[in-house]
Amino acid sequence: MDFFQHQDQARKASRLLLLYFALAIIAIVLSVHFAVSFLLMWVSSDTLEPFDWFQLDRFVVLAGGALLVIASGSLYKIWRLGDGGHTVARLLGGRPIDPNTTDPAERRLLNVVEEMSIAAGLPVPTIYLLDSEEGINAFAAGFTPQDAVLGVTRGTMGILNREELQGVIAHEFSHIFNGDMSLNLRLMGVLHGILVIALIGYFILRSTVRAASSNRKGGAIVVLPVLGLTLVVIGYVGVFFGRVIKSAVSRQREFLADASAVQFTRNPGGVAGALKKIGGLVQGSLVMSPHAEQASHFFFSDGKLGKVRMALAGKSHFDFLSTHPPLADRIRRIDRSWNGVYPKVEPVAFSELEPKPAAGGKRAAELFTALPAQLTALIGTLDQVHLDYAQKLLSGISERIRTAVHDPSAARAVVLALLTSREPEVRQRQLQQLAGADDLLLRETQELAPLLESSPREIRLPLLDLALPALRRLSPAQYQAFMKHVDDFVRADRQIDLFEYTLTHVLKRHLEPSFSRTRPSTVEFYALSALRQECAVLLSAVAHAGHKEPEGAKRAFAQGARELNGLSLSLLPLEQAGLVGVRDSLARLEKLSPKLKKDVMRAFIAASAFDATITVGEGEVLRVIADCLGLPMPPFLPGQKIASPAAP
Amino acid sequence: MIAGLIFLGLIVLFVLFLVGIYNSLVTLRNRFKNAFSQIDVQLKRRYDLIPNLVETAKAYMKHERETLEAVIQARNQAVSAEGRAAANPADANAMKGLMGAEAALTGAVGRLFALMESYPDLKANQNMAQLTEELTSTENRVAFARQAYNDAVTEYNISREKFPNVIIANSMGFTAAQVFEVETKEERQAPKVQF
Repeated sequence: MDFFQHQDQARKASRLLLLYFALAIIAIVLSVHFAVSFLLMWVSSDTLEPFDWFQLDRFVVLAGGALLVIASGSLYKIWRLGDGGHTVARLLGGRPIDPNTTDPAERRLLNVVEEMSIAAGLPVPTIYLLDSEEGINAFAAGFTPQDAVLGVTRGTMGILNREELQGVIAHEFSHIFNGDMSLNLRLMGVLHGILVIALIGYFILRSTVRAASSNRKGGAIVVLPVLGLTLVVIGYVGVFFGRVIKSAVSRQREFLADASAVQFTRNPGGVAGALKKIGGLVQGSLVMSPHAEQASHFFFSDGKLGKVRMALAGKSHFDFLSTHPPLADRIRRIDRSWNGVYPKVEPVAFSELEPKPAAGGKRAAELFTALPAQLTALIGTLDQVHLDYAQKLLSGISERIRTAVHDPSAARAVVLALLTSREPEVRQRQLQQLAGADDLLLRETQELAPLLESSPREIRLPLLDLALPALRRLSPAQYQAFMKHVDDFVRADRQIDLFEYTLTHVLKRHLEPSFSRTRPSTVEFYALSALRQECAVLLSAVAHAGHKEPEGAKRAFAQGARELNGLSLSLLPLEQAGLVGVRDSLARLEKLSPKLKKDVMRAFIAASAFDATITVGEGEVLRVIADCLGLPMPPFLPGQKIASPAAP
Repeated sequence: MIAGLIFLGLIVLFVLFLVGIYNSLVTLRNRFKNAFSQIDVQLKRRYDLIPNLVETAKAYMKHERETLEAVIQARNQAVSAEGRAAANPADANAMKGLMGAEAALTGAVGRLFALMESYPDLKANQNMAQLTEELTSTENRVAFARQAYNDAVTEYNISREKFPNVIIANSMGFTAAQVFEVETKEERQAPKVQF
C-alpha cells in the first residue's frame, strides 16, 4: 500500500468510527437511564408501590440530559481543535522549541527532525517539548502533512541516542504519511463528548490529589479529589466505550507505523531500541499531564508505568482496551532475536558522546533509471538514500546561513534573499522598496544574497523548509509585514516565473495555519473528468516551464497527457496557463481524492521526463506542485535519470 | 419538564461560555510567555558576548578600570534580573526589573563604546570589531524579538480588559502583563565624542 492508498483508507476509517460512536451514545444513554432508575428503585423500595421501570418523562429527561452533555462536549472540542496539532501540543503542556536554541539536547533533536523532513519532502514541523514529562513518549498531530506538529517528552530527548531518536521520529512521520494524524484529531473531537464527564473528574483528581496530599490544612481541599473520583466513576461508562473505539482504530495502525519506521530508517535497531528503553525505564512512557487520556491514541507508546506493565505482563484480559499493542509484541515484531529482557535505563542521561552521523561518507546508491510511476511511488516515503542526501545537503550549508535560518528576524532575510533577482535593475527595485520600510532587513538581505547565489541551486527549497519553524514565531503583525515584502519582491520584475510564484504560494500555505484558522481541505472530487480544465492548465504550465520552444512543449505535454488517457487534453498556450490559472487549478486539484492525485502527479512527472533527466529547475516545480496538492515528495537526487514511459 | 430541560441546557451553555473565556485567556498568556523565550535566547547571547568584549578592551584600556567594571557589574545584574523574568514572564514586577537592568547595561556599554573612540588601536583590533558586530546584531535581534513579545502581550492585555472577560480575569488571577520597553532616554542619547 502506498501513501495514496493509506490516505484513502484513513478517510474510510473515519466513517467507521462515527458508526461506533453512535452505538456508544446509545449504550451510554441506556446505561445512565438504567443506573439512575435502579438507584430510584432502591431508594423507593420501602414503599409498596410497584416500580415503573420505564417512565417516558424520566427517560426523556435522562436521555436528553446525556445527549446534551455529549453533544456540547463534542462540538466544543471539534471547534477548539480547529487549530490543529498546536491545540493538542498545548493541551499536554508542550512549549515550542526555539529554533535558535543552544541547548545541545534540543539542538540534536532539531537536527534529526530537519534531516528527516528534508529527506521526506515535508516542511520542518514545529516541535513541542513536554518539559516536565520524564517518560519516553512522542506524538504527531495535525490535519495535513503540511501543518503537522511534533511533540516529544524531555525523557525522549535526553535518554534516547541519535539512532533511536531517528526511529521514534520516523514512526511519527509514518503516522503523518498514513493519514493517522487527521484521523486521530477527528477521533479526539468526536470522542470528547462521551469522555467529558470522566475528563472533568480525571482532571480534578490528578490536579488536586497532589495539592491535597501536600496541604496541611486539610478540610475543604480534601473534598475536591473525592468529587473528582465520583465524576470519574460515573463517567467511566463513557471512558470504557471511548477506549473500545480508540483501540479498534488505533492498535493496528501502531504496528503499521512501527513497520513503516523500520522501512524508512532501514534500521530496526532504532525503533526497537527506543521501545526497549521504554520497557526498562521506571517511568516507562507515562505522561503525567491530566489530559493524557484524551490524547492517548496520539502517543508513540501508551502511558503505563514500566513496573506496573511488568506486573501486569501475565494479564491480557484488558488489552483490548489499550490504544497500543503490548510493548513486548511490538519489540518482537521488529527484533525477532530479542531475549525478553529490558535494559536498565537511568532517567535523563543525555550524553554528547556519540558517533556523529556519517555526512556523505556512504557511497551514493546506484541511481537506476526510474519510471514516472516509480518516482510517484516515492511520495510519502522516506528512505536511507534520501536521508544520506539530506545530511550531505545540510552539512554543505554555510554556518552563517544555518544560523540565519533559525532566527525569526534573519529567516525573513533568507527568504527575501532567495527571491532576490540576479538582474541588477530588478534587484535595485526590490531592495529599494525595503529601504523605506525596514533598514535592518535590507542590510541582512543584502549580506545573504551573494552567499545564496554561490550555493548550489538544490539548496533553495530545503532552505525554505528549514526557515519555517523560525518564521512561525513571528507575531501576526510582523508576519503581515513580511508577506507584503515577499509580494513586493515577486512583483518587482514585472514578470513572475512559475517557480517564484509557486514558492510564495508554498510559503503562504505553510505559514497561514499558524496565523489564522484555516479549514482543512476536504475531498470534493472523485472523478478526474470534473477537473479536466485544471489538469490541462497545470500540465501545460509544466510543459512550458520545461521547454521554451513550442515543439518541445507540445511533445512533453503529449507524454504527460498519455498518463491521463481517460481525458483528452490539449496543450494550452502560455497565456491561458498563466499564474492565475495555475493558482486556481492548484486550489481545486487539492480537493481531489488521493488515488486520483497519484495519477495526476504521475502525468506531471512524465511531462518533465520528456528530456530523460529531471533538471533542478524541473524538480523544483514538481516538488512545489506536489506540496500544493498536499503530497510530501522527497527531493530528486542529483543525476536521477528518468525513462520515457512510451518507449524511445 | 421541557422547561426544566431548557433551563439545564442554558446552564450548560453558560458554563461552556465561561470555560471558553478562561481557556482563551490561558492561551493568550501562554503565547506571550512563549514569545518571551525568543527574547531570552538573544539576551543570553548578549550576556555571553559582553565579558569577551571587556576582556579584549582591558588589554588596551589599562586605566579605565572603573568603566570596565561598571559594565561587568551591570551585566551580572541583568543576568539575574533576566533569570527572574524568564522564570515567570507574566510577573509584571520581574519584567520591570529586567527592563531597568537592561537599560543600565545598555547605558554602561554605551559609555564604554564612547570611551573606545579615544583608543584607535582598540577600534582597529579585528577581534574587537567582530565582537562589536555580533553585539550589534544581537541587539537588533533583541529588538525584533521584543516587538513580537509586545504584540503578544498587548493582545493578552486587551483580551483581559474586555467585558465580560475582565470579570473572569480578575477572579481567576490573570494579572496585567508588562510590555518590554526600552528606556528611550538612554537610547536617544548619542555618545558624546570628545576630540
